[in-house]
Amino acid sequence: MIHIFTALACEAMPLVKHFKLKEQNQYDLFRIFLSADNHVSLVITGVGKSLAAAAVSYHHACCNTSPADVWLNIGIAGHADLPLGEACLVNKITDAASGATWYPQVLFDAPCPVLPLRTLDTPSEDYQPILYDMEAAGFYALASRLGTSELIHCLKIVSDNAQSHSGNVKAKLVKGYIESQLATMDRIVSVLHGFSHELENTLALPPAYEEIITRWHFTRTQKIQLRECLRRWQSLQDEVEALQYIQAADSARSVLRLLGDALSSVPFTLNSRSTVQQ
Amino acid sequence: MIDTIYMETAVADHPRSRNILQRYPHAHVIECSNYTEVFNRKAQNFRLQKKKPALILAQKHHGHVLPTPARYGIGARQNYYFSHMLNCLYDCRYCFLQGMFQSAHYVLFVNYEDFIEELARLAQQHANETVHFFSGYDCDSLALDPLTGFIEQFMPFFEQHSNCLLELRTKSTQIRSLLERHPITNCVIAFSFTPEAISKALEHKVPSIEKRLQAMLALQQAGWLVGLRFDPLIYTNEYQRAYTQLFHELFSRLDCSRIHSVSLGSFRLPRDYFRKLQKLYPDERLLASPLADEDKQIGYPAAIRNNMLDFAAEQIQQYIEPDRFFPCHEMI
Repeated sequence: MIHIFTALACEAMPLVKHFKLKEQNQYDLFRIFLSADNHVSLVITGVGKSLAAAAVSYHHACCNTSPADVWLNIGIAGHADLPLGEACLVNKITDAASGATWYPQVLFDAPCPVLPLRTLDTPSEDYQPILYDMEAAGFYALASRLGTSELIHCLKIVSDNAQSHSGNVKAKLVKGYIESQLATMDRIVSVLHGFSHELENTLALPPAYEEIITRWHFTRTQKIQLRECLRRWQSLQDEVEALQYIQAADSARSVLRLLGDALSSVPFTLNSRSTVQQ
Repeated sequence: MIDTIYMETAVADHPRSRNILQRYPHAHVIECSNYTEVFNRKAQNFRLQKKKPALILAQKHHGHVLPTPARYGIGARQNYYFSHMLNCLYDCRYCFLQGMFQSAHYVLFVNYEDFIEELARLAQQHANETVHFFSGYDCDSLALDPLTGFIEQFMPFFEQHSNCLLELRTKSTQIRSLLERHPITNCVIAFSFTPEAISKALEHKVPSIEKRLQAMLALQQAGWLVGLRFDPLIYTNEYQRAYTQLFHELFSRLDCSRIHSVSLGSFRLPRDYFRKLQKLYPDERLLASPLADEDKQIGYPAAIRNNMLDFAAEQIQQYIEPDRFFPCHEMI
């Protein structure tokens, strides 16, 4: 699942339209939008790192997130000399107030410049050749407690620079900047989605696990043993249904014994799947 | 190859850092106060990072050279190891580094001079006996040598200290810097092997057996001593045939009189590392091998382990005298 966080409604609306999101009216603390397939969500956090952190936390509580999910903070930022409308990924976030740092791991060929960013508590017009925003540190501090830093990123679009100060930034302009970078976002989302899928697979319970614990009563320890057994089963002979070997079982204990016996009969190789002797 | 370089501010002006940065003019260079801000932080995934590891340039402040675990060695009483790098170019599925570190980035400690000072102190401390120093415990000694200049910088110390022996542990064929030097008798370039089919299944990005063998032959021809490391031995139902073939291939082509040492050990991991590997690679067949949990270590059950070690020992000693053979039963 992909969770997008923007500070402003004008940053959010082009994304809501692009990802065909619908507002979820049951949440009253922050505005939350969701795609019909529940694969993309968006939260409007409001301005500032505290609100960004609170929104991540609230969203996690409301939407049941997974450690394999993608977390994106998308919004505008200042920079000394990058052209307005330029999209940038972030490779280092510094909270200007506390000095705390985070390092988003960009493990792909970025379709845009990749730069360090400082999160400020108040707007500033002392432009330097790094990005400035007001949310990333709050967003990242919380998101990195819920996900993994390879899948948590900030995509910032330059809205002001030394030639055009933040006072000139208007909602309509911001909406246009975001719209003009939708293709860049799609490319980033696509690659992160692939990583997320890979991670999701490593977290998935082995096939048949749920069905087996429903049919027989397993203690907590036996559930751990069953997971381990089914994981080995999946590695060694995933074409074969574990269930067909345990039809005669009358207890969790006999399920584990039958599966264990079947696995012991497999000649162990590293290169090809084998099948158990029935 | 390297797109991102993290660099501790303290080593920004170190000549080795500057030299490396010059090699990668297009890399993103990100400064940090301490490499641990980036490396081994929580909320990192080794498997994902292995897709595109970054380089981290750092300084090692203490523990430059450490005693090896007991009974780990190739014949000396005094044994130490040191790691100028953490992590490896290769991606071997049995490797303990995956369990030990959260990050797959390569950490290079650029303050070689501090390592060498510590080596010199230990050489002096044990002036009247042989001291063995093992490199390649937390990294491959040679795989990134063109980048690190490790051989060029460390070898002069061993050229000047004949009571100290250096083991370079590697699966790499990066031997040019060795071939450009005069060989010394107190350096062993120890290559690790598993049979071809096992290597293909588990040792991702590692040069083929033939290429490694060619590198060993070139080193022997140039006068260097080489070593063979069959650690870990990997169990499959056909291990006897596979290892017999591997031993024959290696020992029949190498000059056995110029093999310094052969060592052996079966696959084993600390329990915590093994559990972490299972989480990273739940479908990995190696981790579904017949394994037992003994004394917080996961390894083959005693029956399999002893059969494999006995079998391999018997085979190896057909080619090598017992005084050059070092079976290692020590856990990591």
